Parts: sequence; C-alpha cells; structure tokens
Amino acid sequence: MSISTAQSRDAEWTARAGKIRRILFYAILIFWGLLSIAPLYFTLVFSLKPVADTYTPPIWWPTPFTLNNYETILKTFHLFPRWIWNSVTISVSVSILRVLFCAMAGYAFARINFPFKNFIFNLLLVSMMMPGVVTLIPSFLIIGPGLIRGGIPLGNLTIPTGFNLIDTPAGVILPGVADAFGVFMMTQFYKSFPRELEEAAMMDGSGRWGTFLRIVLPISQTQLLTLGLLTFQGAWNNFMWPLLVLRTPEFFTLPIGLQWFRGEYYTLYSVVLAGSLFNTLPMLIIFFVFQRYFIRSIASTGSKEG
Amino acid sequence: MSIILNRKKISEAVTGYLFISPWLIIFTIFSVVSLVYAFYLSFTSYNLLKPPQLWGLEGYQRVFDDDLFLVKALPNTFKYVIIVVPIQTLLSLILAFAMDQKLRLQRFFRTLFYLPSVTSSVVISLIFIWIFAPQGIFNQITGLTINWLDNPRTAFYVIMGMNIFTTSGTLMLIFLAGLQDVSTSIYEAAQIDGANPIQTFVYITIPMLRPVIFFVVTVGIIGCFQVFDQIYVMTAGGPLDSTTTVTYLIYKWAFRDTTIKMGQASALAVILTFIILSITLIQRSIIEGSGSSAES
Amino acid sequence: MKKIEKVLSMLIIVAFVLAACSTPTPEKIVERVVEEKTKVVKETQIVEVPGKAIEPTIVRLSGWASSPSETALLESLLYKFSVENPNILVKYEPITGDYKQVLLTSIVSATEPDIYYVDIFWWLELATNDVLFPLDDLMASTGTKHDEFIPSLIEAFTYDGKTYGIAKDFNTLGMFYNKDLFDKASLEYPTDDWTWDDLKAAAATLTNTSDANKPVYGFCTPPDPGRFPAFVFQNGGMVMTEDYSDTTLDSEAAVGAAEFYTSFRAEGSGVLPSDLGEGWQGTLFGKEQCAMVYEGGWLIPYLREQFPGTQYGVVMPPAGPAGEGNLIFTVAWGISANTKNAEAAWKVVNFLTNEASQRTVLESGFALPTRKSLQNSDYLTNNPNSAAIFNGSFNGAKPFFWGAVGSDVNDQMGKALERVFKEKQAVADAMKQAAEAIRKAMQ
Repeated sequence: MSISTAQSRDAEWTARAGKIRRILFYAILIFWGLLSIAPLYFTLVFSLKPVADTYTPPIWWPTPFTLNNYETILKTFHLFPRWIWNSVTISVSVSILRVLFCAMAGYAFARINFPFKNFIFNLLLVSMMMPGVVTLIPSFLIIGPGLIRGGIPLGNLTIPTGFNLIDTPAGVILPGVADAFGVFMMTQFYKSFPRELEEAAMMDGSGRWGTFLRIVLPISQTQLLTLGLLTFQGAWNNFMWPLLVLRTPEFFTLPIGLQWFRGEYYTLYSVVLAGSLFNTLPMLIIFFVFQRYFIRSIASTGSKEG
Repeated sequence: MSIILNRKKISEAVTGYLFISPWLIIFTIFSVVSLVYAFYLSFTSYNLLKPPQLWGLEGYQRVFDDDLFLVKALPNTFKYVIIVVPIQTLLSLILAFAMDQKLRLQRFFRTLFYLPSVTSSVVISLIFIWIFAPQGIFNQITGLTINWLDNPRTAFYVIMGMNIFTTSGTLMLIFLAGLQDVSTSIYEAAQIDGANPIQTFVYITIPMLRPVIFFVVTVGIIGCFQVFDQIYVMTAGGPLDSTTTVTYLIYKWAFRDTTIKMGQASALAVILTFIILSITLIQRSIIEGSGSSAES
Repeated sequence: MKKIEKVLSMLIIVAFVLAACSTPTPEKIVERVVEEKTKVVKETQIVEVPGKAIEPTIVRLSGWASSPSETALLESLLYKFSVENPNILVKYEPITGDYKQVLLTSIVSATEPDIYYVDIFWWLELATNDVLFPLDDLMASTGTKHDEFIPSLIEAFTYDGKTYGIAKDFNTLGMFYNKDLFDKASLEYPTDDWTWDDLKAAAATLTNTSDANKPVYGFCTPPDPGRFPAFVFQNGGMVMTEDYSDTTLDSEAAVGAAEFYTSFRAEGSGVLPSDLGEGWQGTLFGKEQCAMVYEGGWLIPYLREQFPGTQYGVVMPPAGPAGEGNLIFTVAWGISANTKNAEAAWKVVNFLTNEASQRTVLESGFALPTRKSLQNSDYLTNNPNSAAIFNGSFNGAKPFFWGAVGSDVNDQMGKALERVFKEKQAVADAMKQAAEAIRKAMQ
C-alpha cells in the first residue's frame, strides 16, 4: 500500500472511485430497502382488495378498493378483537413481571451477599447456553398435566407436579417471566453503576427495599425500558410456546389465531393479510417511538460477548 | 459484636433471597428441574398414557435408527445452518458497512432494514406463503409457474431465503454498533496509507469486528439449529419431508404423532443440545486460538 | 317382542344405576308402554323417590365442538336423557382446538371425562394402554347386541375380542360430481354401476384447461391416505394383512391401484389440490375446477355454506376390477377406564346410540346412523346423496384403520403417492419403499 508517484492522477482516480463507490453503496441500500418494505407493502395493498381478488393483479395498487376485510376482522369475526386483546395482556404482563423480577435479581446479584450466590449465578450462565428446545417437553408437562399422573402422594395429601394451566393465559405468561439473559444484563448494569447514591440513601435510613424502589429502579430506567421492549417484542411475536399451551380459539394470541384462521378459512387469505397487519403495526409503532432503545438493546447484545 | 455481625449477615442473606426469589423459583422450575427432567425423560419410553418407563439408551438408539432423522431432519438442519448462517452474516455485514459510509438518510435506511425483523415469524411466514403461491405475486412478477412451497426441490430454499431476509436487519444493527466502536482514527490512518474501501473492509474492519462476528455467527447457528415457527406454518415439514428439521421432528414426535413419543423426542432434544453446545465451544476455541485482536 | 325387551332392559338399568348409587330403592317405578315405537322409552319414568333429594351421579362427557347446530342437537339429546334420568347429571364439556392433545393431557393429569369421542384412527392406542373401558359386559347388562349395529362399525372398535367403542356416526366416500360440468361436456351423469373405465373416460372428457386462469380437471387425485385405499380395495388388494401384522402395499393389487390412481394426473385429466394452490379438493370442487371428487358426507354442509349454488350429485365410487371398495370413517363413544361411574356412563352412551336418538341425528342431516335398522328410513329414501354415502358402508367398505402403526402407514402411503407425483418415481418402487418403511416402523 505505498503511495504511487503519479499523485495527481491518483487523486483524480480516488475522487472518481469515491463517487462510484457512493453510488454503489446507495444502490445497495436502496435495493435492500425496497426489498425490506415489499412484503409489508403488498400485504397492505391486498388487504384492501376484495377476498375474491387475493391473487388478482394489479399488485401495486389496491383496485378494486374495499375495507371489507377490516370490517370482517373488527366486526363480523368476533375472535379477532379477542386475539388482539389476549396478545396485549399476555405481552404486557410478561414484560412488566420479567423486568421487575430481573431488576430485583440483578440488583441482588450485584450488591447483596448471600450464600450460594456464585453457584446460582453460574447456573444462570450455564442455562443461557442451553437451547430452549431441550426444556420444551418438561416445561409443557409442568405447566399442564404434571410430571407424574395424579401428583405425588404424601400421606393424605397429594402434591401436584403440574400447574394445570393448559389453555389459560397464565400458562403462557408463567415460564416467560423468569429470564436468564435479563438477569445477566441487569447484574452487569448494576455492577458497573457507582454505589455512592445508594449508600447515601441507606445512610438516610431507607432499607434495601426502599433504596431499591426509590433510587435503584429510577436510575436504571433506560436499562429497564430496553429490557422491557425486548421482552415485549419477544412475547408479542412468540409462537411455539402459546401453540402448545393454548387450545381454545377464544384464548389464542394473535399469531396463533392468524395461523388457525388460515387453516379454517383458507379461502379468505385477504382477511389473513389484513389481520397480520394488526400484529405488525403495533410493533412498528413501538419501534418508531422507542427506536433509540431498540438499537441500544440490539447493540448491547452484540458487545456482551467478546 | 460478632452476634450482631452475624445477625446482620443473616438479614443480608434473607434480603438477598427475597430479592431473587420470584425469579429464582420460576427459573428453578422451568430451567433447572426441566433440564434434569429432560435428561431423565430421554432414558424412558413415555406416551402420556402410561407413566414414563425407564428403558436405558433405547430412545437414543431409536433416534439413530430413524430414517426421518438420519436421511431428512439431520442433513436438512445442517444444510440450513451451512447455507443461512454465512449468507446472513455476510449480507448483514455488507449492509452495515454500506450504512457506515456516512451517507445521507442513514437513519431512514436503518429503520427500513429493521422492518422485517419487527414482523413476527408467523406473520412473515403467512405473507410468504401467499407471495409464493402458484398464482402468487412472486410468480406474477417473475413470470414463473413454480409451485414453490409444494415442490421438494424449492420449498426449503424459500424458507431459507425468508429467514435470511428477516434476520439480516437485526444482525446489521449489531454490526453497525460494532463498526461505530471501531475508532475512526484507524480508518483515517488506512486512508492516508491509500487503502481502498475493499482493502479497508478486509484488512481492518473484519479483524476489528472479530468478537462481534463471533457473536453473530454463534447466535445465528443456535437460532438456525432450532428453526421451527416458519417450518410449522409454511410447510409442516413437507413436501416429502424436504423441510423437516430436528426441532420440527422433536415437536412431531412429542406432540403430533398418533403414538406420542415423548421419551424419544427428549433423547433427540438432548442430542441437539450436545450438537449446539459442542459447535459453540469448538467455534470459541478456534476464535480464541487464532488470537483475537480486539477486546471490547 | 322387541319393544317389551327394550322397556324391560330400560327398567333394569334404572334399577341398576340406582342401586349403584347406593340410594334407597325407589318405591315404585311407573312405566307405561305406549304403542308408538319411538315413545316407549320416553314414558319410562321414576316417580316419587323416598327420602331427600338424591345426589345425582355426575358423568362428564366430551367431544370436539363441531358446528353450533350439531352441538345444539347433542345438547337436546342430553336434555332428553336428563328428563328420563334425573339421577344422572351429564356435564357436557366440548373441546375446541386440538382434541386429541387436550384429551391426552387430561388423561395424564387424571382429569379425563367419563365419556369421550374416540376416533377410529387412534382409539387402539388408548385401548392397548388400558385407558379405555371394554364395553361388552355393560352392553350385555342392558341387552344391547353387537349385531344391531353395522358390522364393520363394531368390528372397527374391537380389539382382542373386546369392544371399546360404540360408533356414534360414520362416513364413507362418495363420488361427488358436478352436474353443470357434466352437462357442459354433454356426458350422462354417473350411476352406482360405474366402473374404473367409465371414470377414466369421463375424467378425460371433462378436462378443459383452455382457460389458464381457471382450468377444469376431470378428477382430483390428492396424495391422501384417506382416499387412495378405496382404489386398493377395488383392485382386490388390502393395505394391511388381516391381523395387521404386515403391510400389503407392495402387492400386485396395491401397486396396480396406485398405477391407476396416479395415471389421471400423468395423462392430464387429474390434478392435485396443491397444483392449483389449494389445500383441499373440496374447495376445487366448489370452485368448479374439478368435476369429480371422492369425499365424505362432510362435503355436503361445506358446499351448502361456501358454494351454495353448486349443482351436484353423489354416487358410490365406481367399481374396480375386483368390485366395490370403500373406506369407513367413524367416531365412537368411548368410556374412560378410570371412570368411577361406568354403569351411569354406559347408560348415557346407550341412550345416545339407541334407535330413537340415531333417528333424530339422521333426520337433522348431520350424520349417518350406525344402526342397521335405519337403512330403510324415509330420510335416506328422500336424500339420495346421503343414501349413497350410507350405502357405501355395505359395499366393500373397510374401516380407515391400519393397526398400531397407523400413522406410519398413512404417512408412507401419502409419501409414496407424492413421490410418484412430484419426483416421478416409478410406482412399484414407491410402493415398495413405503412398505419397507412401514415394516421398519413395526419392529
């Protein structure tokens, strides 16, 4: 990489190359940008066309135009609003509980001394390496029928080995509220955070809990919001677990409902497309509003290794 | 004095446990107990109707005797990983590099690229089923008449393509963050040395990004080994098992087949876990062995 | 004679159930035998039971939820039952969603209902794991005879000499044909006497693919294990040996049937639903893109709701070289082996499958009755489409059931056909491969 003697010619070449390069980079960005938006655009276009025109051109513009599909979703087909509501309640519950529990645990790991702390933390690290599919079957048995038929008899009592939460929202929520990565993330955060503020509060006589609620939670706002958003996105889009737990259409979340609807009414694909927008749009809006946090959270997942 | 100290210690320990208990209880049940029980189940025969019966390694043996596993699921899964991981890593790296060129509208493109990742796997699958239907938009635009998802030679590639499409946005953001961490002075030095962008990319960017690349590849491998939603929604493992993956097979054995095979499915889940763990560890040792140049 | 027998048996159950519930014997049971056959049972009443109100025996009953009107029908039958049997309280708990999954999980947690639907396709799994109650003794206790039901339906739920389910209704395959498309091709409508050659010729004539956006095919040949075996039977073959210990899919008859079945598409007169981007041939039939399909009675309400204008008829599937052949799909009432009230549960099942109930079901048009005696009912005479499907059960029909490895058999049959359709594998090779895979699964 030595500098050549014919400097002027080289400079000219560099300038031209720079221009070509910029065009090339723009071309890449525009191409991928168009590709990224295409499925969403087509979905929107065809959700505004009649059911009979599910595959009929024109594909770029919704003619003939109709709002029937949205009417079907919001008025005629009573299950859609329920699915949306189920998705909202489940995702919000999972997010709030997980953020709270992860913050509590993370704070304890970072600040409080208790026996077996390192052991438990190592267990947590190991569990982060485990692929989720390995605990799928036992988790299903625990949430549902139990590991042992009829429970463990203990004198007159029988201890159930399952929660019997199949086909309930709680069954979807419960395993989701404890997350190893979230605790790890919060622990790292609290460890890096100066103790002085808390110590001052402790001096003032507020106990651990008071300090946690009044000082620690507020200072970690950003971090909590980031974790919350990440959790919300995961819960909102989750498929495999609700698929196993939920059976009755009334209790379905939106992704399960959409998939089920497609199976039951396969001639109404335009309605499926319209319904899918109800899954995508809220996430999109949240993403626009909290873009900063999303990008931070994703960037932070990248730098945690290495 | 020591009693007071002890009491303080005990109260500290109690507080500590109170703080972690909500998380710890659920974590213990769904991660620790589940994991142990998964191992136990893998040595049993369990059809849900009768209690699990220990049968040693029979379940593992059956997994390795099963044609659907040997001929379809295992090769398919490896094929999926080998095709998807490099492409999505390279593609997102290129996109991130292009984004990092201080071009205008950077934020706009960033949002645009992230769109497919916001969409849930089910929704994007439902959309792709429709786009790739025989009379669908893809065939209309290209003038082809292929029945993409019903053809054993094409179905799996459509799913791969879709996954590359959806994950590249997220991975791009990770790379972008990594790129922005690389200090600009290094680039400036390279520019003074007369390096062109491709040289900069190969000799500076990639080595500097080594830890991030490791992370992206690891996450990619773990994710790809467990691909399920898209398969379930788009092809249910068909046509002719051409899209059956290991995770889908676990699901099929444990929840779908007429004769439920929870034990055998658990054995396969354990096998899959070992495959994923060993690949991650091998990869880590390679990366560390070659001397990672950057710390972050 | 039969009437009196029935009344007596009814009385015996009542007494039996009451005794079983360890309640005081009712002081008197008043029964009036009214001349009309159907009313006999209704008039049996228990009047005046001494002591305080008896705790009723609770029996839980589950099935998958079908259409609201069908559910209403079952509820009305159960109401009738409760009027006659105030001491038994039937709790109907329909299951929406994945029925088998829900049932299995309830069995694991020991919360399964006392009575539940068992599908022909997977009941054996339950029976061999001792989860189902053998019904023979209960049947004897009420004098319900096996031969009052269509023989193949009783046989379908018999294992090791014991009966584990009473078929609640059934379906066979009928050949649905679109009258408009037949008229357009100026072809005579099919009859019950058609043969494979007629089918082949008609399929070719009916095919018209000139409109690329809406091609019309004569016949639909999905790679569906719920359709193809009928052709094997018609060709004198079997899917499994008599005792289900081996498969006969690689026999000459089965291979011949597969040759015939796959020849439609090869010759351009047949189509797979997936070729046209559909999941089910019923939809293609409704859209008039397929002139003939083999389907069960479930297609009738589907067409009524989704494609009300369709002009169609139903005949029995055309006979093959070895005569008639058909498949029977059926669902039975099973009783849980863990029930605490087997007698009460049986009473409910017996009521739901007695002649009066079955007649009500038949006349509502939802399902076909499983009792032989209803073969000549007015309803079937007036509804030739349903009659074609009912009569299919007497003409070479065999249950849709292949023994313990049933799901493997179905899987392999479907895949063999798919390989022929999509990978151009030779038919004999495809069937041989399927048979070998099934044998492997059996070990």
